[in-house]
Amino acid sequence: MSFVEPEERVALRQAVRDLAKRYGPDYVRRQAKAGLKSTELWDEVGRAGYLGVSLPEEHGGGGGGIADLAAVGEELARAGCPLLLIVVSPAICGTIISRFGTEAQKQKWLPGIADGSFKMAFGITEPDAGSNSHNITTTVRRDGDEWVLTGQKVFISGVDESDAVLVVARTKDAATGNLKPALMVVPTDAPGFTKTMIEMEIAGPEKQFQLFFDDVRLPADALIGDEDAGLLQLFAGLNPERIMAAAFAVGTAKYALDRAAEYAKTRTVWRDRPIGTHQGVAHPLAQAAIHVELAKVMTQKAAWLYDSGDDFGAGEAANMAKFAAADAAVEAVDQAIQTHGGNGLATEYGLAPLLAATRVTRIAPVSREMILNFIAQHTLGLPKSY
Amino acid sequence: MKIVVCVKQVPDTEAEKRLLPDTLTVDRESSNPVLNEMDEFAIEEALKLTEAHGGEVVVLTMGPDGADAAVRKALSMGAHSGILLSDPALAGSDAVATSYAIAQALGTTEYDLVILGSEASDARTSLVPAMLAERLGLPQLTFASKVEIDGTSITVNRLTDYGHDVVQAQLPAVVSVVEKINEPRYPSFKGIMAAKKKPVAALDVAAAGIDAALVGQAAAATTVVDAAQRPPRSAGVKVTDEGDGGVKLAEFLSAQKFI
Ligand SMILES: Cc1cc2nc3c(=O)[nH]c(=O)nc-3n(C[C@H](O)[C@H](O)[C@H](O)COP(=O)(O)OP(=O)(O)OC[C@H]3O[C@@H](n4cnc5c(N)ncnc54)[C@H](O)[C@@H]3O)c2cc1C
Ligand SMILES: Cc1cc2nc3c(=O)[nH]c(=O)nc-3n(C[C@H](O)[C@H](O)[C@H](O)COP(=O)(O)OP(=O)(O)OC[C@H]3O[C@@H](n4cnc5c(N)ncnc54)[C@H](O)[C@@H]3O)c2cc1C
Repeated sequence: MSFVEPEERVALRQAVRDLAKRYGPDYVRRQAKAGLKSTELWDEVGRAGYLGVSLPEEHGGGGGGIADLAAVGEELARAGCPLLLIVVSPAICGTIISRFGTEAQKQKWLPGIADGSFKMAFGITEPDAGSNSHNITTTVRRDGDEWVLTGQKVFISGVDESDAVLVVARTKDAATGNLKPALMVVPTDAPGFTKTMIEMEIAGPEKQFQLFFDDVRLPADALIGDEDAGLLQLFAGLNPERIMAAAFAVGTAKYALDRAAEYAKTRTVWRDRPIGTHQGVAHPLAQAAIHVELAKVMTQKAAWLYDSGDDFGAGEAANMAKFAAADAAVEAVDQAIQTHGGNGLATEYGLAPLLAATRVTRIAPVSREMILNFIAQHTLGLPKSY
Repeated sequence: MKIVVCVKQVPDTEAEKRLLPDTLTVDRESSNPVLNEMDEFAIEEALKLTEAHGGEVVVLTMGPDGADAAVRKALSMGAHSGILLSDPALAGSDAVATSYAIAQALGTTEYDLVILGSEASDARTSLVPAMLAERLGLPQLTFASKVEIDGTSITVNRLTDYGHDVVQAQLPAVVSVVEKINEPRYPSFKGIMAAKKKPVAALDVAAAGIDAALVGQAAAATTVVDAAQRPPRSAGVKVTDEGDGGVKLAEFLSAQKFI
């Protein structure tokens, strides 16, 4: 791994920045306020091939890696116009289908996921299975050639703008009666599929939903990959998810620090010196910048490990990156708001919504406590407490 | 059809530009070099024309070694190959010398059409396209807001203060485009990956057949004698509207001789 990104990734970042510059935070705010989605931005990013960078070329992708997709996610967030569903549609669903789907499934879904014309949400969380995802009870059973899905999910992002949801369900082992995870592609217009929006204090255009599956009938090809390899497949998709969440947090943190630095350079309170000359203002921002950069390097390491095929090594690094990036983002946003004084909470400056947006990254897709559990157990070899 | 697009690398348009105190040339280290924005419209138009009529797009730049980044950007948008004209002797060339150097470099390749931006965002003389056409002895169709090719004939809408003129010529010709003409594409990820593998020919003065005595700062017909920082913007006048805002505005405008 080199600490200098390859020329192509630098060019990719620049290209995404140039595109995102035309949208920015005003666009996202406007869309959210009007109850609309970031459709134009999503479509344009998709058309340019940036959503599909990590997917295979033969299925409409760019043939790059998660490191490339993370660069796209980070730059969009840094421009103040993040796309939450980039974490889900190409990173989780695209990865899982491209790694474990049949050739026919890849042809069916990947080109659309790659160019953005087909959006796939991801549903694992249930009311009684958040941190404890082993607890999921949504089940799928065979009925002739078809599958029948029953159960519910909660906090699933972007279902109203998605064509399908990749649902983590369980199948009953015929022999033992044990439940095994199975990944099912569920079209959002399938009969028996209903959704209810959850009111959230997050200002973005992407909404969260509670989903109910009431004997939803699915075709045979709805099952992704192997009925027996569900868990392994699932983890293959969750590492990219964490890396993308980290990239989102890093980008948002950088956006907040950019705003803070700009403000601290121009706002004068005492005589003619800008507040940035006061170390009480400058040092906390500098410290946040250090933490953000450390988190970014860890994110790059995780992506590099993942792209080199080391799923287990990537697991530890992706968890550490997400943990560090979430904390750095919360710190950066808090300090950016502090730097702005009262303006930090004024609508015009657009910083207050970042409080919720970055706070989420400490909880989802996996909470910081569960990451600490993982590190304690796997990195330090400590006994499991739960 | 073979189209050559001339592009210039310029300091980042959004950055504060500085001059080097001793040579009074642009301090290129002080800000990010980028592809001149107007030239992206020239590249886009060339790509559209070759998509419609077949052919290839060659991108040509004269600049320091690092200017190959501008060529790569054009290649990532879809241009097929590049020519980088670079030589210490060219440093500080003015528009007259730049047009001469580009004309000589064009002599190393064949083309049916040359497309330029109508203005570089740093020096902003808008002279190079016309001078280049003159040097090549080719028709110049400048400030084009629309380009159409039919066989060997080219027709452009030439932007004017009152609308546009329709100008027609035979190929080969030199065209400069305005921003109105199209919407430049973003380099696709595949384009970015492919750009690295596309051929870029390096030319120095000798290879381009340029007489070194005619280029560079020493040969420039114009000299920058002095430069001063633009004074910071003054606070301006605030008119508080106490029911007579309109009158006060009119008074201000007439005092400044605007009305
Ligand atoms: C904005 C948003 C978007 C989301 N989008 C999606 C989505 O698209 N798809 C999806 O499937 N899910 C989504 N989620 C759900 C998210 O993944 C869960 O909220 C998260 O995994 C935490 O689960 P929970 O909410 O059930 O918390 P709980 O599991 O109830 O945990 C509550 C608290 O207890 C702590 N805790 C639990 N167990 C332990 C332990 N053993 N040791 C120490 N502490 C513990 C947790 O860390 C947490 O702080 C989203 C959530 C949010 C907020
Ligand atoms: C601060 C400053 C100091 C300068 N000092 C001097 C000086 O001391 N003496 C002097 O004589 N001149 C000087 N110049 C002028 C400078 O050399 C000119 O910028 C240059 O000759 C090209 O002219 P232009 O940028 O105005 O191009 P324009 O005519 O505005 O550009 C139009 C189009 O021509 C093409 N083009 C322009 N340049 C190139 C290129 N290098 N390669 C390929 N295509 C190109 C592009 O398509 C561009 O869109 C100075 C400029 C500046 C900003």
